[in-house]
Amino acid sequence: MEQELREIVRKLLQEGAIEHFIGYAEGVEPLHTTPCFIEREEEVGALVWSPFCPYNLARYLHQMKNGAGKVGLVVKGCDARAIVELVKGNQIQRERVVVVGVPCQGQVDLAKVEEAFQGAEAVEDAGDTFLVTVGEEGHSVEKERLLREKCFFCKHPISFEYDFVLGEMSPFLLDRRSELEFAMIEEMESLPVEERRAFWRAQFERCSRCYACRDICYACYCQECIFESRAPRWLEKTTTSLDNQTYHLIRAWHMVGRCIDCGECERVCPMEIPLRQLYKKVEREVEQLFDYEAGMRVEDLPPLVTFQVDDLGLVI
Amino acid sequence: MSSNIYLPHLATITEIEPQTPDTMIFRVVLEDSTLAQSFIYRPGQFAELSIFGVGECPISIASTPTRKGSLEFCVRAVGQVTNALHELDVGSKIGIRGPYGNSFPLFDLEGRNLLFIGGGIGLAPLRSLINYVLDNRDHYGEVELIYGARTPQELVFKEELRLWGEQEGATVYLTVDRGDERWKGPVGFVPSFLREIAPSPENKVAFTCGPPIMIKLVMEALEEMGFPPDRIVTTLEMKMKCGVGKCGRCNIGSRYVCRDGPVFTFEELKMLPGELEF
Amino acid sequence: MKAIKKPHLVEWLNRVAQAYDLLGPVLDGVVQFKRVKSTNQLVFDYPNSVVPPKNLFLPQTECLFAFRREGGSIILEPAGGLERERVLFGIRPCDAKSLLLLDKLFNRDLVDTYYQEKRRGTTLVGLACPSPPQRTCFCTSLGIDPLSPEGVDILLADLSDRYLVEVTTERGEALLGFSRELFLPSAGEEKPRREKEKSLEGIEEKIDSLWEDDYWRELSRRCLGCGVCTYLCPTCRCFDLTDVGSTLGGGRFRCWDSCIFADFTHMASGVNPRPTGKERVRQRYFDKFRYIPEEYGVLGCVGCGRCSRYCPVAIDTRTVINEIIARSTK
Repeated sequence: MEQELREIVRKLLQEGAIEHFIGYAEGVEPLHTTPCFIEREEEVGALVWSPFCPYNLARYLHQMKNGAGKVGLVVKGCDARAIVELVKGNQIQRERVVVVGVPCQGQVDLAKVEEAFQGAEAVEDAGDTFLVTVGEEGHSVEKERLLREKCFFCKHPISFEYDFVLGEMSPFLLDRRSELEFAMIEEMESLPVEERRAFWRAQFERCSRCYACRDICYACYCQECIFESRAPRWLEKTTTSLDNQTYHLIRAWHMVGRCIDCGECERVCPMEIPLRQLYKKVEREVEQLFDYEAGMRVEDLPPLVTFQVDDLGLVI
Repeated sequence: MSSNIYLPHLATITEIEPQTPDTMIFRVVLEDSTLAQSFIYRPGQFAELSIFGVGECPISIASTPTRKGSLEFCVRAVGQVTNALHELDVGSKIGIRGPYGNSFPLFDLEGRNLLFIGGGIGLAPLRSLINYVLDNRDHYGEVELIYGARTPQELVFKEELRLWGEQEGATVYLTVDRGDERWKGPVGFVPSFLREIAPSPENKVAFTCGPPIMIKLVMEALEEMGFPPDRIVTTLEMKMKCGVGKCGRCNIGSRYVCRDGPVFTFEELKMLPGELEF
Repeated sequence: MKAIKKPHLVEWLNRVAQAYDLLGPVLDGVVQFKRVKSTNQLVFDYPNSVVPPKNLFLPQTECLFAFRREGGSIILEPAGGLERERVLFGIRPCDAKSLLLLDKLFNRDLVDTYYQEKRRGTTLVGLACPSPPQRTCFCTSLGIDPLSPEGVDILLADLSDRYLVEVTTERGEALLGFSRELFLPSAGEEKPRREKEKSLEGIEEKIDSLWEDDYWRELSRRCLGCGVCTYLCPTCRCFDLTDVGSTLGGGRFRCWDSCIFADFTHMASGVNPRPTGKERVRQRYFDKFRYIPEEYGVLGCVGCGRCSRYCPVAIDTRTVINEIIARSTK
């Protein structure tokens, strides 16, 4: 698959069809990749594909507004939902992006690997299982044991047109998919409000306001972020309990109808705040109120900028 | 026991003098009279002015230490703090930290002729030195001032410009980018005006302050006119926050504008990495 | 050299905690250095904390003074200092080394009394690093010894059933006094040795030659512009000053800021001397490997590896250093 990808990109560059290609390259650490920008044919050898490609590369399309040329990128099916939303939000024009779909069958959670197999050097996708290499030994592991949580309910956009595909693009299905998706928040929802508030307050106490969650998010493309506004100055860089809560709750609001649960925010948080739980709740509310899922079809109108007559019945 | 470098001293605004639609001169007296007596500063230094509840900003001291009584700041309303300052009345209390920064190289100027080139509100820090020099007249040679603003309304210290021009051994050249019906003087940008006047570099040190692009063009012009780079002096008023070299914001290379500046010679600037605002 | 049996270490710390505020590594979501009420909260099996212990000396959010309007005037109340002297247990040699650099900055010229008071009021009990180190650690490549007592008052080294105890200051010696009987003369065992690698000689000249190099633009394409590397860096100390409250009353705070943030050098006039990620990324590496060495004679990096470990897009400082070396010798 890597060879095929490299050949596609090489041709695109050779033909001058794109200015650069955004893909995954090997990282310094084992079990890590890093985003890469390929500008010349000679560089395509750097492109890799593995179960350690969590990045939603659509995030790097934010800069497209400043240019005029075409850009190529590789996406997993889940990432393609971001492209749908970026088109919907007028952030990119679909014809300026060359989308290469990679048939991902599950991404690996680094923490789970490190806990189960200390010193693991490689993990490969072996179809139904993951093959973990520790030293000289290979261990075949049930995918569920090492899978990133969000992969349990893998979702692709409906009838997305890729410019190239490296295989069949279909969601990675597990039997328990539909019940699992909101299970993570059901426990929280059953708690009294006071306990929920106390839980989140404690989580936000830890927040160092590094803005990694905002800066990795494909949907945070405002030219001037509300948190950078000077006049009025909504939030300073102080990290009091109130400031941190304000930051996270405002961001949660801004994700209404836009979060696609790529899971990146939680992955990048150095303080391990369970951000997916917060945004999953927002996602569920949107689904229940507006029967809307982000990133599935370009034609679906974003709920907060659309008025339907029967919205009058909603209690907001 | 070191004193608290972040704690401002209280001061009262004793006079406010509007200069242009967006610029005012504030005359300020420190509340603690002992401190007011012992507040020693040199032309070129700046202070951090506090509007408690709004914030703090660095402003160059426009008065001269040779005239006691009050400190003078010429402030243009550009941001939160400066706009809040413009809303204050005589009698309002503010905070002052300082004086900070290095100063104009007074020692090296003995006996020299002095050329000042200012643009807009850039005249403010230069004014401190001009008045200092005129108060110590015997120590210095000829004084020339080339000064311009966008329009006649935007010239600052208008009364003093007239007084300086009347002094023995001092010449004032004024220009504006755009005149009006009453303006009878020259029209043109300061850098080109400078080239027209073509002052001699003989035993002369040049000081310039104004909008970034003006500083750049003026320093280049002076060098072409024969001024050695170590006798072209400017003051950078940029991106300072704490004023005491700790917060890490105002560095250009390993030099901190609040600690190693804001006064720099052209020669020193040439050795710094290329990330000046111009 | 002395030694103390592992169970006795906790006994000693318990006694210390009666006279001092004890700060140490706890698991609060992630490993952090915090004040503990009981030694039960401490963890001992950790490579390092996520946030470096610099936050105990330069807190992320710190009130400098309160202000309020009264009568026709304004009353200023500077924040109080430490209520009790503190002992910080568990600091690693790289972080201790970083504090020595922060000292140079905060104590030069006009002294930062907020920082200095906390430093003077804290005794450091360091914990030498286990072997092998975390994958992201590279202190030895910078000439830093993970077994060195430099910068701490006492250094403990884990010898499985006991700790080797190296006391370097009178302060440290005084701390031993809380349980002097528990500290036995060491049985002549050697402190574990670590192979010292070459230090990064000449990196200042090398990076200097790359001011105009395209590498910074390339890096800035991947860089998200978040604050993770700077906030988690033990030698980073940039801060913002801000007033909270209103003109009737409130406080002046300082809080961490980052040169990587887009608006860091943005001025009220609208001009920004570092307008794109390229200038900002370049500034960060030049500060660590060029400006700080020029000014203080030491590297601005201690090789703790946090920036590499926690960077959301896996930008690795070791790669940057290697690139600097490779590109400058072209």
